[in-house]
Amino acid sequence: MTSAPFEPTATPELDLRRRGIRLGDVLFKGIAIVAALAAVVLLAFIAWKILDLARPAISHFGLSFIWTDVWDPVKEEFGALAFIYGTVVTSVIALVLATPLSIAIALFLTEIAPRRIAAPIATMVELLAAIPSVVLGLWGIIVFGPWVRDHLEPWLQGVLGFLPIFSGDPSQVGILPAALVLTIMIVPITSAICRELFLRVPRDLVDGSLALGSTRWEAIRGVMFAYAAPGIAAAVLLGLGRAFGEAIAVNQTIGNRNVIPTSWFEPGNSLGSMIAAQYTGATSVLQAGSILYLAAILMVISLVANVAAQLIVVRFERARRAV
Amino acid sequence: MKRVLALVLALAVAVAVALAAGRTDRAAAKPEAGSLVGTGSTFVFPLVSKWIPAIDQAYGTRVTYTGTGSGTGIAQITARAVDFGASDAPLSPDQLAACKGCLVIPWALAAMSVPYNVPGVDGRIRLSGPVLANIYLGRITTWNNAAIKALNPKLNLPGTKITPVYRADSSGSTYAFTEYLSAVSPQWKSKVGFNTAVNFPAGVGARGSSGVSGIVKSTAGALTYVDAAYATTNKLTFATIKNRSGKFATPGLRGIKAAVSTLPKKITSVSQLEIVNPPKAAGKLAYPIATFTYVIVASNSGSKAADLRKFIYWDVTQGQKFGPPLWFQPLPVPVQAFAFRELKKIQAGT
Amino acid sequence: MSVTPVDPHDITVRSNGLRRRRIVEKGFGVVAILAALMACAILAVVLGTVIYKGFSQLSLSFFTEPRPLFGEQGGIADALVGSALIVGMAMLMAIPVAVLVAIYMSEYAGPRVSRALRVVLDVLNGVPAIVVGIFVFGILVVGHGQSAVYGAFALAILMLPMVSRATQEILDVVPQSLRHASLALGVTKWRTTLSIVLPAAIGGILTGVVIAVARVAGETAPLLFTTSVAANTVSLDVHGALPTLPVLIYENSESPDPNAQAAGWAAALVLIVFVLLLNVLAKFFAGRKRRKLEGS
Repeated sequence: MTSAPFEPTATPELDLRRRGIRLGDVLFKGIAIVAALAAVVLLAFIAWKILDLARPAISHFGLSFIWTDVWDPVKEEFGALAFIYGTVVTSVIALVLATPLSIAIALFLTEIAPRRIAAPIATMVELLAAIPSVVLGLWGIIVFGPWVRDHLEPWLQGVLGFLPIFSGDPSQVGILPAALVLTIMIVPITSAICRELFLRVPRDLVDGSLALGSTRWEAIRGVMFAYAAPGIAAAVLLGLGRAFGEAIAVNQTIGNRNVIPTSWFEPGNSLGSMIAAQYTGATSVLQAGSILYLAAILMVISLVANVAAQLIVVRFERARRAV
Repeated sequence: MKRVLALVLALAVAVAVALAAGRTDRAAAKPEAGSLVGTGSTFVFPLVSKWIPAIDQAYGTRVTYTGTGSGTGIAQITARAVDFGASDAPLSPDQLAACKGCLVIPWALAAMSVPYNVPGVDGRIRLSGPVLANIYLGRITTWNNAAIKALNPKLNLPGTKITPVYRADSSGSTYAFTEYLSAVSPQWKSKVGFNTAVNFPAGVGARGSSGVSGIVKSTAGALTYVDAAYATTNKLTFATIKNRSGKFATPGLRGIKAAVSTLPKKITSVSQLEIVNPPKAAGKLAYPIATFTYVIVASNSGSKAADLRKFIYWDVTQGQKFGPPLWFQPLPVPVQAFAFRELKKIQAGT
Repeated sequence: MSVTPVDPHDITVRSNGLRRRRIVEKGFGVVAILAALMACAILAVVLGTVIYKGFSQLSLSFFTEPRPLFGEQGGIADALVGSALIVGMAMLMAIPVAVLVAIYMSEYAGPRVSRALRVVLDVLNGVPAIVVGIFVFGILVVGHGQSAVYGAFALAILMLPMVSRATQEILDVVPQSLRHASLALGVTKWRTTLSIVLPAAIGGILTGVVIAVARVAGETAPLLFTTSVAANTVSLDVHGALPTLPVLIYENSESPDPNAQAAGWAAALVLIVFVLLLNVLAKFFAGRKRRKLEGS
């Protein structure tokens, strides 16, 4: 290549290159903005589309759908109460069991176990989170359900049989087996978050408390819990959101009965499970619409749980920055 | 740096291609003529499973079928997402209208057995329609209930709790079974009625024929309604059911044959093919819960029309001989003739 | 967050019950240990059952033969191929968008916008998988029929927030000095991002991707509505519905047929081994990322 003399024509070229560079920046930023907008639009679109799909049933039944306890495809009368009940009860049982368990596991990992033991156990808990829900459901229906029926439920009945929720005949599918499978699903999620939270508690606060003569438990209760409480609340809400939305493992274990059972041994149904079981087979417009109405309810309650969790996290972080 | 850039670009292109491909017309993407896709009834699945390799050998037609439940079969053909749907329930007038030009062709005939799991009973349990209705209504709750004892004077029935198991998905088996219960029990008819899915007052739900059989197999005291083929393949004992002659019939081939013996000599409509609870004239052997099962196709089937005609014609003729080992009774001649007439209406259209 | 101070008065009061305090202290330790043991025991029982019931089924033909028709024996080849194709397509759809969203959040957006986007992504992550399935069914499957592409799209929606959040978190810890050095040399911002920032963060991004893949590979609910009506043949036609491992396990789980149940366990074993391997891989990437960022 011959070296061209420095001529005025070169200047526009240089300009063009500069502009090209700036164009690259603008383009790239543009693409990134579009992608970010796409994520926001996607969330809005999902919410709108689900409500839109459910509109025929919403306009037909109105809000009373939510507190109506009937699912009768023959008479075309539909209501969501039994499914909301099943969803809320299984999830709340799971949460009540999982929260203390998760906190205890997280405390063990951060406060008690030496690092050499804590690391592999933390990994195992993480692996428990990685087991697909359909595999847990498979285990739940074939192995765990019969065990619950033959051992756990008779024992519960023996101890607490006077409570109506533990009445009736033990069954391998029902509210209780489904709730326990959900518990197994949530524990790794909430315990991982709790562990993070406890690790982030400033060490000098705990040490200060210990130096003042409190026992380890007192330091945990007085300092760590107080510090991590909002985070724990967010973790619980996230776990709740996850439990609300789980369709497959619940469908495999809950028994698919579309009524509100008195006893936890009896079969029931949840929103997600009902959608999974009947949506593709809904043969009338109203029935399909009603199942979509269930999906809309499911979406709304899990969004509420999630948004609440996010708000707590945001406020928590803002407060911490202020400290 | 260039590598990362190239990677990102390649990914972006791949996404664009994938999205564009997703948008292309599905009809163009469907496999070429010579292959058919169907879904629906799990009841008829054992028989279709035998047909698939045989039809491939006979004509080289590749048929794929998934048992997803009759309701799904109806919904999928209505949406034209498959080439044929299969249902044990004929389409209701509303469904037929929604399906826009669908043909409902009977292609198999079988009995709904009532398998149970009652340990420690030596001998086959006998049941009757009203007793079954009361079990599913939740009024008869133990196996030693007086009404069951009265039907089984020789058996030593335990006090095990009865767990009635039903289909959680939308199912033609549920249609046939609840149609039968409605025919024999006025309470059932007024309280529950019949459809592919109903509001069961008692029991446990499971998905598909295999799901309900699975629960029965693992639950002492359970009973359900399922294709006899599922019951026998899975080594479940089924009950004999009292018919209008007062005899206890088995869901075997002779029982089904007797049940269809009173059909008219000329069939002009699917509505004539309701055979649950057949009249006394059907005879002592007549099994009261038999059902035809149907293939649903669009009369305007485009490039698939010829293959569909060939496939269904083969099913209702030669295919029937695969039935008996699976407890499917070959179609009676008048029904076959009706199927032939309907078949002719499958056209490529415009 | 104001921290509740430990009231010294309170402590002196409590120190009177020294015995009680010691018991509580011991009890808390025991409870925590028991809880950890229980979690490990549950994992061991689940994994043990899957291995025990699934391992004996594994053979070469199990991987090369398709699912059987009614009451016969066969393999899972069709579902393996379908799952691989669908998860692969989901990755292609989700990863570029997810990384771009993360780049926007950490390189361009202000703190307020970035925080809002984080909340949006976290909420998107909280949408139940079955609702995503219904959504894709409603916008794509109705009128077109099921297709593996739609199934992949549903999985991509689930992957997007996971990969985005992981990427954004790692981009945020890439040292500003790297960016400044590159920009000071006259490199444009987009090139800096692609050739300096992303490579520095690649370990963390891969960790996020791998974890997301591990999670969606086992998802059943979104596939039920988008790609479940599938034949038992090995097919590469992504425009039709393809069978997948999770749907196969779901269908076999309720079967009374011992063959089908055994196939379900074996398929579960294959899926779990895959998912666990991915998790190990994620750990490896995470370790590399840490070394790399600490080194720089």
